[in-house]
This record gives sequence, structure tokens and C-alpha cells, in this order.
Amino acid sequence: MMNPKEQLSKVIDNIEKVIIGKRDIVELSMVAMLSHGHVLLEDVPGVGKTMLVRALAKSVGADFKRIQFTPDLLPSDVVGVSIYNPKDMEFNFRPGPIMGNIILADEINRTSPKTQSSLLEAMEEASVTIDGVTMQIPKPFFVMATQNPIEYEGTYPLPEAQLDRFLLKIKMGYPTAKEEMEVLNRSQFSTPIEDLESVISLEELLELQRQVKNIKVDDTIRSYIVTLARQTRNDPYVYLGVSPRGSIALMKSAQAYALLKGRDFVTPDDVQHLAKFVFGHRIMLRSEARYDGITAEEITERILTKTKVPVQRLVGQ
Amino acid sequence: MNSIRKSKAFMAILYVLVFLLLAEWLTPVITLTDTGHKTLFLVFIGISLAMAYFQVHWGISALVKTFYIMWFLILGYTDTTFFSFEALGFILADLRVNLEALFAQDWADTTDIFRTVLFFSLLWMAVYLIHYWVSFRLSIFLFYILTVVFIAVLDTFSPYNGDTAIIRIMVIGLMLAGLLHLARWLESHRINETINRLAAYTIPLFLMVAVSTALALYLPKAGPVWPDPVPYITSFSGEGGPGPASIGRIGYGVDDSELGGSFMADNTLAFRAEVEDGQYWKVETKDTYTTKGWELSEPVAEPVLYNNGDLIETEFQPGSEEESVNAVLEMELEFPFVLYPYGIETIQMEEEIRYSYTPIDQKIEPMLNGAPYEPDAVELQFNEPAYSLTGLRETTIDKLAELPPEFDRYKQLPEELPQRVRDLAAEITADSETVYDKARAVENYFERDGFEYSLTDIPVPEEDQDYVDQFLFETKRGYCDNFSTSMVVMLRSLDIPARWVKGFNEGEQLEDENGIETDVYQITNNNAHSWVEAYMPDVGWMLFEPTIGFTGSSQIDFDLDIETSDSEEPETPERPQQPELEEEDEAAAAAEARGPGMWERLGEYVADNRGAVLFGMVASILAAVLLFVKRQKWLPKVLVPYYRRRKGEQTFEKAYLRLLKQLDLYGIKREDGQTLMSYARYIDSFFGTKEMTRLTASYEQSVYGGQPETVEWSELKESWENLINRTSS
Repeated sequence: MMNPKEQLSKVIDNIEKVIIGKRDIVELSMVAMLSHGHVLLEDVPGVGKTMLVRALAKSVGADFKRIQFTPDLLPSDVVGVSIYNPKDMEFNFRPGPIMGNIILADEINRTSPKTQSSLLEAMEEASVTIDGVTMQIPKPFFVMATQNPIEYEGTYPLPEAQLDRFLLKIKMGYPTAKEEMEVLNRSQFSTPIEDLESVISLEELLELQRQVKNIKVDDTIRSYIVTLARQTRNDPYVYLGVSPRGSIALMKSAQAYALLKGRDFVTPDDVQHLAKFVFGHRIMLRSEARYDGITAEEITERILTKTKVPVQRLVGQ
Repeated sequence: MNSIRKSKAFMAILYVLVFLLLAEWLTPVITLTDTGHKTLFLVFIGISLAMAYFQVHWGISALVKTFYIMWFLILGYTDTTFFSFEALGFILADLRVNLEALFAQDWADTTDIFRTVLFFSLLWMAVYLIHYWVSFRLSIFLFYILTVVFIAVLDTFSPYNGDTAIIRIMVIGLMLAGLLHLARWLESHRINETINRLAAYTIPLFLMVAVSTALALYLPKAGPVWPDPVPYITSFSGEGGPGPASIGRIGYGVDDSELGGSFMADNTLAFRAEVEDGQYWKVETKDTYTTKGWELSEPVAEPVLYNNGDLIETEFQPGSEEESVNAVLEMELEFPFVLYPYGIETIQMEEEIRYSYTPIDQKIEPMLNGAPYEPDAVELQFNEPAYSLTGLRETTIDKLAELPPEFDRYKQLPEELPQRVRDLAAEITADSETVYDKARAVENYFERDGFEYSLTDIPVPEEDQDYVDQFLFETKRGYCDNFSTSMVVMLRSLDIPARWVKGFNEGEQLEDENGIETDVYQITNNNAHSWVEAYMPDVGWMLFEPTIGFTGSSQIDFDLDIETSDSEEPETPERPQQPELEEEDEAAAAAEARGPGMWERLGEYVADNRGAVLFGMVASILAAVLLFVKRQKWLPKVLVPYYRRRKGEQTFEKAYLRLLKQLDLYGIKREDGQTLMSYARYIDSFFGTKEMTRLTASYEQSVYGGQPETVEWSELKESWENLINRTSS
């Protein structure tokens, strides 16, 4: 039996055969998957989002589905629909693409809020309800939604409440010139994704998910997380700060990250590393911030620099 | 890059300033060592700097300098003025002598020529060093400070007077430092300025230096708190002695023409006296007051010579006690005179000694074959004079007018003496009827009108100021010279003949092992003293002691009827018998003191030695501050052995936190938002170690992981020690 760190690095190494030079992104995706969260990838098309999700699915031997969101997509196209079967004289449920382990929800902000919310509800509940029948989505369930940057035309920005449902928001970014050369090199004769094989089983993945819950979070760390979250609520540039759900998200993802790093406890480094990705989409800025060119990431960064890292054991508690 | 260093004019100014600063170094050296040819040395510095300025090739420069040194040697040590074979031969021969002396380690045999060469090499190196500082480092501050310290030290400890030099150095140094700062600033900001713009920066600098110098010169300056540290320091070295009394140290001096200024205690033993009762030991008197001090008028009579055992006639008649008293003086310091008590009768020394008694100043000088002699031991016989109270009561004022003209020199007063001194004397003595009463009134005046005895913080009178006037009306603070001179001047203003006496007071009576007082008195330089003699008509000269805290007095015969003697009673017990607290002896007294008076005496000690106590306090505070500031350097030496011995779960965490503090002191600060691990990585990259990361991982496991029991301090100790030791290097 391998230890969690080895298992997880095997997965990551496996994915890296396909996705070049994005180890941190891969790690973050793993973190989200381990802590039952979902990821919002915000980036332009063509940087390897789909490849990432497919590689992830293949590595853990999971079922992969893809939903391309378009303005005319309907909720039933996501969750599925009951169709009358004249032969049997009854309604048969045709599951939608959401009924899979790993879902790529592409360009989620192109579709109507109605369809968006059907997806998000499914993400939150890990189940769908059609015609009064609730159906569990098989575990593990991991959605990676992508959205074009808000500035692009013809988009329906996700409402604040919906954004909160994503554990992390990640920007993929372009590869470096060297990495891109390597990408070209590898794609010349083959499509590497086809050769990818699973390195851990779904059961092992579920077991890892359970282990995340046992990662120790010391009181000092909890209080550090709370302090960070509260700071976002007091920032003059911020219209809506990080919710308690955000604090929970930070803690859980930090736990998963600690597991990934082979530790059985969370350190402030884990918290700092993940704060940007957890807080980024949860901080709503005032318009002044936009005039001053300040982003939520910058605010998070600023809070991290000025908040004292706990270095000593809390005494008397 | 078109650096400021390329600006010829700017660099020329710098080099001229450097030259002036070096000249300030050279001047005291030349003056103090009696070296000649100052100009030629300056020319050498000038040439060296000029060649540095023009960036002459080092080989050529060295050649020129060597040539110059050779020429100087020929000029200075041979008759020829220029190179000749003989001169060169002479130099070479000399070189050989010196080399031999060097190899034989026979330093005394090196010749002057060789020392001159050494001095030139020193100058050479100095110029090179400064050239380096100015041209490459663009910094002169260290040299500037050194120059100031150098001149200050020389001014304090040597005859060299740096009063004006220090001002010149400050001005030159400020200019140099200012210009170099500008140069550094321009360089660091990569600003290329034209010479015109440079002027815009430098002219305000020149103006500021000029204005602040002018202001500083014009403004009044406080006198020194510690007027002269030299006696204080030399008194520690144990080198006392009368010598040409160095300014400000207590002791017997010869020149009293300028009184005033502060004194430092000097515990050097002057002599030991074996005598029944402590005596005032008189040396001489002075008669002419100059508004600044005392001088001696022209002699009136030839010295009288006495032989061993002859009865010496002074102006004091020996007392009428049946037996004379013996005294033996053992001299520690050598004085060319005899210290004698009042009522001296005979002096005994080696056989051939004769004693010259000079009536003008009542000095007794021993002569050996007509030459002055400094005795090691003196045996004296004396009978303390006693004064008839009846006679003193009859010293009416009108008798003063009948005194013969010999007494005129004891009534002398300078014309410039302020009227208020005369008025004060008249006021003090208004109620007294006899001359004796008036003298007593003046003697006692100082006890009651807020006068303070002090050795420190005593001013020297200004050009247009009278010494007595300053003491009586302005400072009211002083030591024996102030009191005695004031009394003499006041008595003279009342037409009472009076003179100023110098000598030593009774000193400290020694005790034997059982604490019983012996007959031996120890008299140190601290006991050097001055007091007053006044002439009582028909009675004679009489000793008065106006200085607060001193107990010298004349012995009075109470030959009166009981009922009339009441007014005199208070004065009678005043005899210099037991060792009273003397000014500086209090130091020893306070150290020995036990019991209720100790704090009081400690207070007095502090008051008397304010300089020393203040110095001590400032020094200890400075030391404490220094220790605190430098704790990064020494703390690890304490921490390592401390934590090495410690055990237990908490030890590692404490040690780790200590290490963090130490690293912070070392200068590697951890930001508020920086995690321990990222800090640790930085530390490791800084020191090229891996240990901080290792320690931090353990610390994290202990604190964040809540598993302090898994951390073994003994395994981490070495890493910790390695790191903490690095912080002190």
C-alpha cells in the first residue's frame, strides 16, 4: 500500500505527461477533487483545459463527460430528461451528461442563468431531481467549469452566490516558450492523451478523500484562516468579503494540500498557497477598486503580507 | 558612464581639501617632535596628492617621490644642496648602518635619516590611503573623525594648542564630507551633472558650512563641565608630584598668578609627619594681589642663614609652653623648602645643611654647599604660639595708623578692585570694634552667607573680572584659594595688614591596627592648602582660616577675667587636633564609613566627585546599551550551553523561537506575513545550509501538527547550534 503522497504524485506525474509545465494547476485540481470541491477555470480557449480534465479522469480511471455550454442549452440538456416510451407506456429517464465522475463544463458563462443554476445545484448537492425523483450522482463527482474572462462579449456572468459553489478559481495561463515547444514536439506524431492509463483506482481516490478529513488543523491555523477571511470583509475596496463558506473552503483545501505534500497537519504555507485560489472569486470589489486597477488577487496578496503568521502555540486555550 | 569622478574641477576641490586636512595632521606632529622643514613635508604631500589627482602612472609617481625623499635627505643631513657622489655615498653608508641595526634589533642605533625615511613612508601611505578613500570609496568620514579625535587628544594631553586647528578641521571636514556625499548620491542615482549644476548643489553647502561656522564662533560657549581630564587620569597612574604643577591638579604649586579653575583630587602622598597634634605646615606667603592671583613684591631684606639647631627667628614668637614639641617629617615628594609649623624653633637635618630664611615670603630653603637641597627627612622643634586675649582686645583701630611703612606691602590692593568688595568688608565688620574682632568677623562671614566649598566647576576670572569679586558676588563657590584670598583682600580694604599663606594642612591621622590614633599624620597633595595671616597691632601676626570646613586657628590664651570672656568662648575649642573630614579624604572616609552617617557621607562623596561619579554612571549606561545593542554577538555564547543542557518537550520550541530572535538581530527580518518555512528557505539559501528548513519542519510538526512528542531535541541540537553560532559571526 502506497502512502497518500506517493499515490498523488503518481497521478500528478501521469497528468504531466500530457499537460506540460503546469504542475501547480494540476496540484490545485487534485486538491479540489480530494476535498469534494469543484474548480472554476478562467481562461481563453486552447490552453489545455479540456486536456487537463481528460487526463485527470483517465489517471484515476473515472468516467469523463463534457458539456459545451451554449446560449440555447437547456437545463434538461445538462441533468437529463424523462422521455415517454410508447413501447413500455412509461417515462424512461435519460441521464444527462452531469451523471458522470468528472465533468468538464465548458464556457459556463455563455449559457443562460437558468441552465447555469441547474449545473450549480447538481454540483452542490451531488444529486439531481427530475420529475420529483432524486438521483445521486456517482462518486467521486468533480466538475471543472471553464469560463471566458468576463471582458469577452456575449457572456452571462455568474452570480455571486453561484461563484461561491466553486472551491477554487484557477487561471491556467499560457505555457512558456520552452514549454510550448515541448507541447509541439509531443503532438507531432501522436496524441499523448490516448496513451494515458489510470494509475489509481476510483476506490483509492475515495479513500484519499476520506483521509483528507483526518488532516490535523491546529487552532493556530484555524484562527489564522478566520483572521484572513475577516480581513477581506474589512477591506475598503471590498464590497462583499469572503463568507464563512469561504473559510471552510480554505480549511478543506489546505487539508487536501497538506495530504498532497505528505503531511498530516496543515501549515500556514498551505493556507497562504491556497488563499489566492479560494478567495479570488469570493471577493466582490467596489467600483473604486476597478478604477484603481486593483484585483481580488491583489487584495488577497496584501492581506497575506500584512496578517501575522502564527508562529507560536496558542497558550491557555 | 560620465561619472562625477571625471569632473576635474570637482576632484581638484576635493584634493585641495584633503591636502588642507593632511596639513592639519602634520602640523602638530612637526611641532611636538621638533622636526624642521615643515614646508618641505607639506610639499611632499602636495606632490603626492597632485600625482594621484593627475593619475600619473604609479611607477613614475614612486620614482618622483623617492627622488624627492633622497633630495630631502641630502638637503637636511649633508652640506651639499644637490646630488653629488659624496652625498649619495653618505646616504648609502647610512642605509647600511641602519640595516645592520635593524637586523640586530638594535632600535636605538637607527639614525635620524632612517627615521625621516620612515616618516616619509608613513606620509606616502597616508596619502595613498586618503586618495583611495576619496577617489574610489567617495567617503572620508572615518579619516575626518580620526583627525578630530587626534587633534582633541593632542590638545588635551600635549602642549599642542588645537583651539583654531579644530575649527579649521571641522570646516574642511564638513566640506569634504558634504561634497563626497553629493558625489555618492549622484553616483547611486546615476545622475550626470554639468559643472554648472554641480555648483548649484555645492554653493549652498559652502554657505551652510560658512554660516554655521560663523554662528558657532559668534555664539557664547559654555565652559567645560570637566575642565581638564589630565590630572584625573594621571592621578590613577600614581604619578603625582609637585613638578610644574599641571593645571587643575591639587598639589603644591609655585605659580599663583592666575587662580581659579577646577581641581581634581590627587591622593599622591606628599609627606608623613610624626607629631603629637596635627599642624598647619607653612611654606611661604605672598603679598601682592593682582586681581587674578598672587605675586611676590621686591625683596626687602637679605635672606638670613641658619645652621642646624640654630633658633630660627620668624615673625611668630614661639609659645610659652614649658617644653617644645618635636616633629619629624618624612618626605615622599621632594620639595626645595622646609615645611614648618607655627612657632618653629630649630631645624635639624644632615650636618652640612644650612637654612636660608627669606623674610619677604618667610620661606625656609635648605642649602647644601650653597645649592638648593631637597630634604628626605626633617626634624623640627616648635612651640605653638599663643595669643593673649587681653592683648587682642586692645587691638584698636587707631593703632593701625601708627604701623611702620614695612607693613604697606601687606595693605596693597589693586586699583581695579571693585568698590563693592570694600563695601562688603565694611558692612561685615561694621559692628566689630577691634582689629581682632574685625578679622574674626571676616573669617566667619563665609560660614553664614551661603558659600559653598567645592573643587569643581570653579571659573577662572575673565579678562576684566576680579578674582575676589567674582567669588564673593557671583559664584560663592570655591576652595581654599578663593576663601583665603577673599579674606586677605577684605582685611586689606579695612587697612588691616594681611597676607596669603601657602602650605599643607594637618592631613589624615593614621590609626594602628586596633583603631587607636597614632602620632603619624599622612599628608597628600590633597592637603595642599592656603590660608591667611593678619597683623594684630601690638600682638603680632596671627593665623586665620576662612575656608569652610577647615579647622586651623591660632591658640588663644584666656588671660581675661571670667566674666568678660563669654564672647570669645565659641572660638576657643578650635584646634587642629583630631583629623577632621577633609575635602578629598571623604572619599576614603565614605568607603570606610559604617553606620548612620554613611549615606550622608556617600552623598558628600558623590557631590565632591561629581565628575567621576557622572563619568562612572555614563560609562556603565553606555556599557549596558552597548551590551544590549551588541547582544547578537554574545548571546549565542550564553544560549548554546544553556540549551545544550536542557531537556523536555518544550525545549525545542523555545530554542527555535530564540533562534528566530537571534536571526532577526542578525539582520534577516521575517515579515509579518512570511511563513516560517519560506523564511527558513531564505535563511538556508543565505547561509548555504539545509538546517533551518529541517528545524522548521520539526517545529511545524510540533506546533501545527500538535505532536511535540515526536520531535527529538537531542537530534536537532547540532543543527540549532550551528545556526545560532552563525548569527554571532
